[in-house]
Amino acid sequence: MDNIFGQYGVLLDVNLSTKEIKKTPIPKEDLKNYLGGRGLGMKILWDRVKEPGMDPYSPENPLMFMPGPFSGLPIPSSSRTTIITKSTRTSPKNKKYPHSSTISYANMGGFFGPEVKFAGYDGIVVTGKASSPVYLLIEDDKVEIKSARAYWGMGTDMFDKALIEKFGKGYQSCYIGPGGENVIPYASVLNTAARAAGRGGVGAVMGSKNLKAIVVKGTQQPKLAQHKKYLELLAKARQAFRDDKEGVEYWRSGGTAHALESSSDNGTMAVKNYREGTFKEIEKINTKAARTQIWKRDFACFSCRLACKKSGFAKGAYGGVIHDGPEYETGTMVGANLLISDLEGLNKIIAICDDYGIDIITTGGVLGFLMEARERGLIDLDFLDGIDLKWGAIDASIDMIHKIVRQDGVGKLAGLGVKALAEHIGNGSEEFAIHVKGHELAAWNVNTRAERMMITYGTANRGACHLNSSSPTRQNHNAMQDSLGACSFAGAWYKGDISYRHFIEAITGVEHTDEEFAMIGERIFNLEKLFNYREGFERVDDQLPERFFKDAHTYGKGEGILATHQDFDNWIEAYYKERGWDLKTSKPSPEKIAELGLNFTV
Amino acid sequence: MTHKESSRRDFLKKLAIGGGGVVLLGKYNFLFGNQPKNGILKAIIVDFDKCTGCRTCETACSAFHHQIEIEGEMLNGLGNPKLANIQVYHYNPDVDIPSICANCPDTPCVNACPVTPDPITGHKAIFRDELTQSIRTNHSVCISCGSCSRACESERTGVIKMNSISNHPEHICDHCGGNPQCVMNCPYDALSFREVDVDGTYFGLSPEEIAEKLFERYYAGEEVVNG
Repeated sequence: MDNIFGQYGVLLDVNLSTKEIKKTPIPKEDLKNYLGGRGLGMKILWDRVKEPGMDPYSPENPLMFMPGPFSGLPIPSSSRTTIITKSTRTSPKNKKYPHSSTISYANMGGFFGPEVKFAGYDGIVVTGKASSPVYLLIEDDKVEIKSARAYWGMGTDMFDKALIEKFGKGYQSCYIGPGGENVIPYASVLNTAARAAGRGGVGAVMGSKNLKAIVVKGTQQPKLAQHKKYLELLAKARQAFRDDKEGVEYWRSGGTAHALESSSDNGTMAVKNYREGTFKEIEKINTKAARTQIWKRDFACFSCRLACKKSGFAKGAYGGVIHDGPEYETGTMVGANLLISDLEGLNKIIAICDDYGIDIITTGGVLGFLMEARERGLIDLDFLDGIDLKWGAIDASIDMIHKIVRQDGVGKLAGLGVKALAEHIGNGSEEFAIHVKGHELAAWNVNTRAERMMITYGTANRGACHLNSSSPTRQNHNAMQDSLGACSFAGAWYKGDISYRHFIEAITGVEHTDEEFAMIGERIFNLEKLFNYREGFERVDDQLPERFFKDAHTYGKGEGILATHQDFDNWIEAYYKERGWDLKTSKPSPEKIAELGLNFTV
Repeated sequence: MTHKESSRRDFLKKLAIGGGGVVLLGKYNFLFGNQPKNGILKAIIVDFDKCTGCRTCETACSAFHHQIEIEGEMLNGLGNPKLANIQVYHYNPDVDIPSICANCPDTPCVNACPVTPDPITGHKAIFRDELTQSIRTNHSVCISCGSCSRACESERTGVIKMNSISNHPEHICDHCGGNPQCVMNCPYDALSFREVDVDGTYFGLSPEEIAEKLFERYYAGEEVVNG
């Protein structure tokens, strides 16, 4: 590709139905306007999904694996891969089409994205459906569709071992487990058997295509526009991390798990299906407990200086499991949210979910919902196929997870998520079915910081998402960050003269003013929104569950605090105004569309 | 594995009998300049408790050794990890093994090289460099037989690989001329450049052998029963 620096301008384009494998050029303008990762994936999704209402499980739904312009370069903490597709999880309140759903993106660290870049691609797009289980083997230009029959049915841990045995050093992979194979709508995609692109059903789409894995090895790197400037920035960035020992140590010593205790103390934790914000037994699952009982080693993603991944094993009744965890999201969602405080039991649940390849956030939401419905007498033991699902029940939780993944009995319904469960159960259960647009909330509770969290969850384009942020500026920034291959945990270090914009300039040679650069994230966020709007998602779909307007926490820092519907209306209208979106429908205004160069959507 | 372990044990035994100043005879009974003049032989030593598997060492090594010329100036390259002399192996259960030339005092690689030593320098196609005390290669006399690589593979780390195009040995650490970039750039202080310790637990072992030991060390006695 002429005059493209830091990237290749090449998309690996694989159709599993026709077995056609080709390199599709990526327009230079798209690389400039959408960077890579989440943004470029969104642009390709828009280009390929020409009509609204496509069934996410149809072979035509494109599934994209996108590194970014930082991927493969040793810029600290730039390991992320974003997987983009049309969501299996979301649906609007007023369905315009039978298969209306939002965009979906899920993001994982590890080593996969950099290797895709080494193989000579800015991304991989998979369409079609294989007639039998396959995996994709990529070695630079050599790309093959191979039979995965021998691996079908394997949990991610065993499969990861099998791949290491077969391919060894130099190869990276990402894959689904039985969750994805059985097309559980909230199946995840993993690499290194623990790092998950968990949310939004990306693993279900992968499974629906009969694609077990992508294995990749590459030897290339694209030429940079300003090599010397890049080296200077790299040296400065490394120094910035070295200079901030305390900041780095926060991540190394516990990572997001540190938030287990602080969030509980602050009353911002999802506890007992979001009924409370503080977990009374937090000291049993905090970082101190994990260091003593579980964690053995710290691990880092590609070229990362933070090493927030903790692997270890548990002993005791639920022992014998070598796996990661818990971190904040997993520890809360299948811990505090279910009132489970047995650290070994909690770790076992995490290991089982990862082995199956299902989203732990959603799984915790589903189990919490069922426990509450049972407690309230809305469902009984028969409904649960005899599984005695009560607060704090580890074995029953595990039994239910098995049923979900095996699509057995009640597991079939539970596998659809809390929205579908509440529709089935009725009797007001939708008030405590904790989702937005069908996507379950993450481990940060709402009431104590209602404005911030309601806007964060309500306006996220993939359905409820804790990483979305609440201000348009911050949301745009995050969308841009997800498009670089950069990790949000390290975002704070990239400021001033080592900001992302400077790196992009050195890598790609494309110069942006600060305003233009900020507009990239805004463009991406609005394109996602326009996709959703076309599918029929409007203002009413940005609403949060009734629980957050009715049930104040009964203890802790959030005790008694409750937002009203009027509060929410005020907040969301202020947000739409700042966005330049229609107050009634939430549609981006024609002026905003034009300003962002999104006229092709009209 | 048994073969390798026994050969390693034999080596250690010989070393113990002979003391620090032992001189081992090569295949052709020549004595080479294998021993450092000042008696201290250094190598990159890994502290596996500290390594997190981030692979920054690979990129630092590669960037330094594969420089590019920009406007007449030689600058570090982009750090393609495939080109690094240090290679980090990842296993499941989680352990990561940076594997690098152990700078073995008894140089199985040099001993295995069948090339006649240069009458003046005493160097074969692979030799210990007097100045840096690292193992170097001379491609102009290398006959691409792969003996050094096989010796390294069967007796030690297995770091030395034959380049698939040039068919000469590669991935041999040169200590970056005395200031190893991997050590300098490791964010976790997991690497150090210090005296070779043949009694060290992990000296000269292959990544697989080290992984076995680390599994034992961190996850001992635990069966993986996921799911």
